[in-house]
Parts: sequence; structure tokens; C-alpha cells
Amino acid sequence: MNASEEAYLSLEEPPRSDHLWRYTPWKRVHPTGDPSEIPDEISTPQIGLSTINGGEASGISIEMGNAISIPFEGSPVSNSFLSALTDGKAIRISIPDNWRSENPLILDVKPTGGLDAIHIHVETGKFSEATILTRVQGSSKWLGILRTGQTGVGSFLQDVFVNKAHDGNLMRVDALRLGRDSSVTAGTVSAGSTWTKADIRYHLDSPGSNLNVLGSLLSADQMHLDHHIEISHIAPNTYSRLGWHTACGGNSTSVGTGMLRIEKGARQADAGQLFHNLLLSEKAKANSIPELEVEENDVVGCGHGTANGPVDEDQRFYLMARGLSEQEAEDALVAAFLNSTLSQMGNEDVHAWLIDAVEDALVGLNT
Amino acid sequence: MSDNQPVLSIKDLHVGIEGNEILHGINLDIARGEIHAIMGRNGSGKTTAASTIMGHPDYEISSGKISLDGEDLLELEAWERARKGVFLSFQYPQAVPGLQVGHFLRKSVASIRGEDSAKGPVFREALKSAMEEVSIPRSFLSRYVNDGFSGGEKKRFEILQLMLLKPKLAILDETDSGLDIDGIRVVSRGINAAIRGSDSGALIITHYSRILEHVKPDYVHVLIEGKIVKSGGPELALELEERGYEWLESGNNGGE
Repeated sequence: MNASEEAYLSLEEPPRSDHLWRYTPWKRVHPTGDPSEIPDEISTPQIGLSTINGGEASGISIEMGNAISIPFEGSPVSNSFLSALTDGKAIRISIPDNWRSENPLILDVKPTGGLDAIHIHVETGKFSEATILTRVQGSSKWLGILRTGQTGVGSFLQDVFVNKAHDGNLMRVDALRLGRDSSVTAGTVSAGSTWTKADIRYHLDSPGSNLNVLGSLLSADQMHLDHHIEISHIAPNTYSRLGWHTACGGNSTSVGTGMLRIEKGARQADAGQLFHNLLLSEKAKANSIPELEVEENDVVGCGHGTANGPVDEDQRFYLMARGLSEQEAEDALVAAFLNSTLSQMGNEDVHAWLIDAVEDALVGLNT
Repeated sequence: MSDNQPVLSIKDLHVGIEGNEILHGINLDIARGEIHAIMGRNGSGKTTAASTIMGHPDYEISSGKISLDGEDLLELEAWERARKGVFLSFQYPQAVPGLQVGHFLRKSVASIRGEDSAKGPVFREALKSAMEEVSIPRSFLSRYVNDGFSGGEKKRFEILQLMLLKPKLAILDETDSGLDIDGIRVVSRGINAAIRGSDSGALIITHYSRILEHVKPDYVHVLIEGKIVKSGGPELALELEERGYEWLESGNNGGE
């Protein structure tokens, strides 16, 4: 039994009173439904790295089987469980110092269709500029994906996670540390998996780091999406924004919980969070709970908000007055709602690629 | 359809909202190529009239008729009316963050004038020409609909749509409000380009006569408390500018 397995098995099942597990209990996320079990039959999904044009990702190093620990403390249950499933080993993607490319990178993750788990670790070099679009697609019964990383001094990273798995459950844990004066745009585009439980955390523990977290999520049919986003401002002069848009249709449930933490010493931190849910059917449910913990008095700003509602009738009338039928107007407004965050995730090429990736899922929202 | 049939005909129209009647029997005919102006104070029912013609679902029509080229509009939804040829330039155009102007224009033109009108060099040329006419730069095409637009930009964008959609009936609801003199001149140029010399009819709704100096109406109607109390030629607008509305209000002698 490895250390992660031991660590996991020593833990109690987290209670529903825990902020992280309030809406999606661990038992429901666990691949077998029995929290006392660590399944043996775990496969590693196939991965591939290319450029958006289908070319080779030159200059990027990929190493398999590295022993990499999670860069900071998170949920003990999720972290130890995924570490146990991946045997503490990660695929390490390293972007060299000063590396720049016009072509975004596509990291394809293709599950085997059974129980899969993978740990992907990304390190960006000093003053590098990279866009990585991680795409999960194909059929999956259960996929656990642990994504860790560290950005280099003065680097720019656009990191977009696109879930297009046809079905199954996704358990995702992200832990990213931002280096000094580095800038990260972190996008989540969710248009797949029947159940999703994501625990996404960022540590701004170097001065001058800058984070923009964006979500464009489509929740349709019987889907259950639960995303927890935790942003910790630890160093002075750090900046973060979160814009999280979920379009909720069918009989689906979506949950967005935010934790914005300004620690003592994070002077001049500037942070804001906004969750926005568009309710497209009477049966769709959406819960957004942003929370703040502010321990520093000297902050530029720290705010949070949430908005839930149906399609705006004035906007709908405006589009109908321009010849769009009621359904066309609604479709256009849903697409616009998701696009307003999607379009901030990268340049025009990335935007076009993302639109293409979610277009078919938009049709499914009407069901 | 006979040649002398009005493009818009309103007969004894009574309209309310949440049980309160606002329009108390409006009658109005607009012939092809004619520009009519409705003037009135705030709250007189001007926007109610415009919204009702466009088919806003909040307005309840208790009696009366509205027809376009002889076809009853009241059974049609707003999008069907738009496709039949009704255009409303909104007093307060809606912002739609995330919906790009270029995409929206193509979609709207395709819906109203057909797919072929929304693609290829013909569309591009029409778009370029209309944008120049109302002084809208190309960079607008990648912005989001009315999102972050100034008041003047919103009004110019409405007129750009008017020029591209080529409606049978254009209703311009206080298109001049919030514009400075240069702004009024620019939108007026667009309105004239879209309406003058065409078969379209237009209904300009305004408080002030200034826009009517640039877009000459054939007829002016005064709306007070939900009724057209006086109609006349363009000289009536000037008279209103000088005398205000008081002389036409109930109890005074000027009303019809």
C-alpha cells in the first residue's frame, strides 16, 4: 500500500456539512460508490499533444511517470484518492523559459471507457507564453483527473479545460500556483459527462500574479455539475477575477461554490467573483454560493455576487423584432450568454475552436 | 393589394397594460413613401403605439385593427411582423453581451430578407455602404450588440439595421433622444437614405421638432393622453415647437 492509499484510507468520509461536499456527497463521486474502497482496475487514458493546426508541439517536453506531489493543501479526500489512483505519478509537461508560440496547444485526453485516472502537471518557464487547451472526449464510465502546475516568473498561461466526455462521471481536481508577475487565464468549458465534481484551486502566493477564471458550462438533460473554485490571495499586489456562466436546461442540477480568500499580508489584493446561471427550464436547478474570507484590511477590492434567472424578455423581444423566431432568439441568447465568458479564454483561433467544440451541445440544451 | 392601399392602417386601436388603457382609439393610415411623425409629451402613449405595432406581448389590445399592406398584424408574433416588413428602432435598444454585431446582422438580414441577402459581396457592399452612411467603423462588427455602446452609437446602430433590413414600415421611437446636433444629422442621413425614394412608410415618434428639420415628414400627428388630437402638415411641428402642447390639451380649444 503506498502512502497516498494509506492517507486516503485513514480519512473519514467527509460530512455533508463540509462546504465542498454539501451538494455532491463523496459517496456519489466515488467510482464504486463505496468510499472505503480504492479500486484496483484503474486505467490511464490515452493522451496526445499537438498544436491547434494538428502540428507537432515542438520545444515542449513531456515526461511520463514523474513523482509529483500536489503543490498545496486542498481537500484531503480528493487529493489523496486521486494520488492513490495515479500512484503519485504524473505526466509532466514543461514549457521552457521564454518559449512562445502563436499556435495554441491541444492536449487530448481520451478515456478507455472504464475507470480511468490521470495526473497532469504543467510547469511554465520564465517569461514563456503558452495556450493549452485540454480536451476530454469519448466515452467514459469514470474519469479522475488531477491537474497541478506552477507558472514561471513573468509568464502568460491560457489554460482551458474542455469536457466533452459523452457520458459517465468526471472527478477533477486542479491545483495551480502562480509565480511572480505571471498571468493566467483559466477557462472551463463543460459540455459533457453526466456527473461532474470539480475542485479547482489557485494560490497567488507570489507578488504581482494575475488570474482570470472563466466558466462556460452547459447543463442539460439529467446532468449534475458541481464546481468548487477556490482562489487564495497570499502575496501582496495580486489580482483575480472569476466569471462563471452556466446555462441550465432539462432536468439538470448545477452547483457553483466559490471561496475567495484574502490572507493576512496579501496587501492591495484585488478580487471579484460573479456566478451567473441562466435557467432554461422549470425543472433545472442552479445553486451558486460564493464565499469570502478576508483577513487583510489593505485591499483594493473584494467582491462577489450571483445572479440566477431565465432568458431576459426584453432581450428576447429585441431579437424577435429583428426577425428571429422565439426559439432562435432564445438559442442566440443562450449562445451569447456562454460566449461572453468563452470569448475571453483566448485569441480568435482559440475562440473559434471552442465555439466549434460546444456548438452541438447547445442544441442539446433545448431538450 | 391595390396601389392606394396604405402600408400601415390602424383603426380605432385601444391598448392597455396591466388593465390600464393607454391608447383610446387611434386611427392612422400611412401610404407608401410617406413619412408621418407622432409628437407628444412623455406618457402620452407614443412608445405604447410603437411597441404595439411591433407586437410587444405586454400590451393588451382590447379592440381595433392594425394591418400592413392590408394584412392583419394582430395575430402575428413580433418576429413574424418583422419578417412581413415591420421595423422598430428602439428608444432603448437592448445590450446583448456575447452576441457579436456582425453575426447578429447576418442572422437578422437572413431571417427577414432571406439567406442570399446575408452573404457574399452584395451583403458586404451593402453593409460597408450603410456603415459609412451612419459613421460606424468596421471595428463595431466584432463588438457585442449594444454592449458598452454610447447613446449615440446605439441609435446609429439601430439606423444601420434599418438600412440593411429595408422594411416596408419603419417605426422610429425617439431615435433623436439623447443625440447631439451632429448625431441627429447622422441618423437623419441614414433614415433618409433608407426611406426617401423607396416604397417604405415611416413613423417617426419624437418629442421635438429638431429631427423633423432633417427628415421632413409629410404629416404630423399630436398624441395627447392616448388620442391623436390634431393632425396636419410639417408646419404643425413648428407650431408645437413655438406653442408647446398645452393649447391642444383637453379643455383648450385647439384639439380636434
